[in-house]
Amino acid sequence: MSRLLRWGIGLLLIASLLFAAFFLLPFRAWLPGGTVADVATAEVVNGSAFNRLFPKAEPGEQLVFTQEKRGFSEARLKQGETIKALLAISDTTTAPAARSKFDGSSEQLKGWPLVEQGNQASALLVADRFQVKVIGQGPGLDAGQRHELIGAFDLDGLAALKPARAPRAPKALAPGRQQPVAIPVPSAQKEAAQSVPAILEPAA
Amino acid sequence: MSTVLERLDRLPRRNLTVLALKGISTLVPGGWHNTTSASELIASVMGSDDPALITQVRLRADELSNARHEGYGRALSLYDAVNRSQKAAGGLRILANVGGALPLVKRVANLTPTSDTLQAVDLSLKVAAEMLAFTQVNGLPGDSFAEFGASLNEYAGEARVRMAALICFDALLPLGDQALQRLDERLGQVGRKELRLTPAYAGMAAMIPGRGDDAHLSFLRRGVDQWLGWAGGFVGTLGLSGQKAVRALESTLGPWQGGFEQLATFLDAFTDTYQHTGVQAVARRLVERAAAEI
Repeated sequence: MSRLLRWGIGLLLIASLLFAAFFLLPFRAWLPGGTVADVATAEVVNGSAFNRLFPKAEPGEQLVFTQEKRGFSEARLKQGETIKALLAISDTTTAPAARSKFDGSSEQLKGWPLVEQGNQASALLVADRFQVKVIGQGPGLDAGQRHELIGAFDLDGLAALKPARAPRAPKALAPGRQQPVAIPVPSAQKEAAQSVPAILEPAA
Repeated sequence: MSTVLERLDRLPRRNLTVLALKGISTLVPGGWHNTTSASELIASVMGSDDPALITQVRLRADELSNARHEGYGRALSLYDAVNRSQKAAGGLRILANVGGALPLVKRVANLTPTSDTLQAVDLSLKVAAEMLAFTQVNGLPGDSFAEFGASLNEYAGEARVRMAALICFDALLPLGDQALQRLDERLGQVGRKELRLTPAYAGMAAMIPGRGDDAHLSFLRRGVDQWLGWAGGFVGTLGLSGQKAVRALESTLGPWQGGFEQLATFLDAFTDTYQHTGVQAVARRLVERAAAEI
């Protein structure tokens, strides 16, 4: 066997092994990109924590939970067979763009900023993190009805929720062991680097 | 890999699958709309035609369906696996039908397993896929079992045409009007060998809870038991039967001369009703979530 052929076969073997590892074997689960916006699931509040904060259904109406995922819970408000509205609570950790739309809001409900999206959707940002949304379905709801529904959520309970793990922050050393940072990076440059993602995000 | 909404946009507007579904939908109150446009779906959920809002929802939906842990892609691959299996089984049965008439290949026909058992396995795999896909897409909604049950019922009601198609195409037509009552007994006869023969099983085995073929079989039996209760009521209230299904299909597909079983085989081999409605169901739930998260 010529040397060239041996090298060729060796390289082919390595390439096929790598291919198999990443595309066929479950190694893919370890790669980044598995979670929404690459935020670790432990940093997002689970949807099961939101369920008890939904408003209670009025007589003649029904509240049916339809989805419950990490950082999200949704229910339908039904009257008989017709769906009146979608009610949802979501954790905006995975969708920072959703938070920025509240920057210019002038309306407030129970002290939290309120925003209208189109003719049928109202959103409220609680504790700068959780978004409560009501979307009118079918014949639709007017803004007053939607705001009333948002107000019926347990907003104080929502503001008090905490994720299982706080977002990863730079680790601080124990007091007494702290030393000045030796890396020659000007502080202004560091600040700029930190604020870049916020500027680059598309406005919601 | 294409996202859920891209696949929705690529669904056919008019072909055999759509016609078969249109036919079946005449049996179900409320009818069926063939949703093949993501923008239209988003606009109807948001109640707004604002292009900026639609783009935002779409971007979010694509981000969600690209995240592997969210399960939207997994639900679609379940539907794909079932669909491949349905086509393969349909092809096998056509081959058996044709083969039976030719002396030289008669032995091939004898080799294929009895189509009733295979059909029963196929149906139970479809029901199981439906349940697994539901949990992949929606999680386990509600805090109590009653709330979870309500959520399942809500989903089944939304997917009425889908369920009617499943019951008619995979139970009533091939197995007769008593199919649901006798399914339990048929599943009792299913062993590992039949399970292994079903092509969808290979694709789904990793996602069915439990280890080994026996655990999977018992999961299928339990899942089907639960579904049978609901399906029995559904058939009762709508008065579904093989005869009615054929008449409904004839209204869109044209007259059919053969037997019920051949019609079922034909539909299995040449339509993708399960996959078609599956993509639409997943897309709707995904858009409802994306609309609430933007």
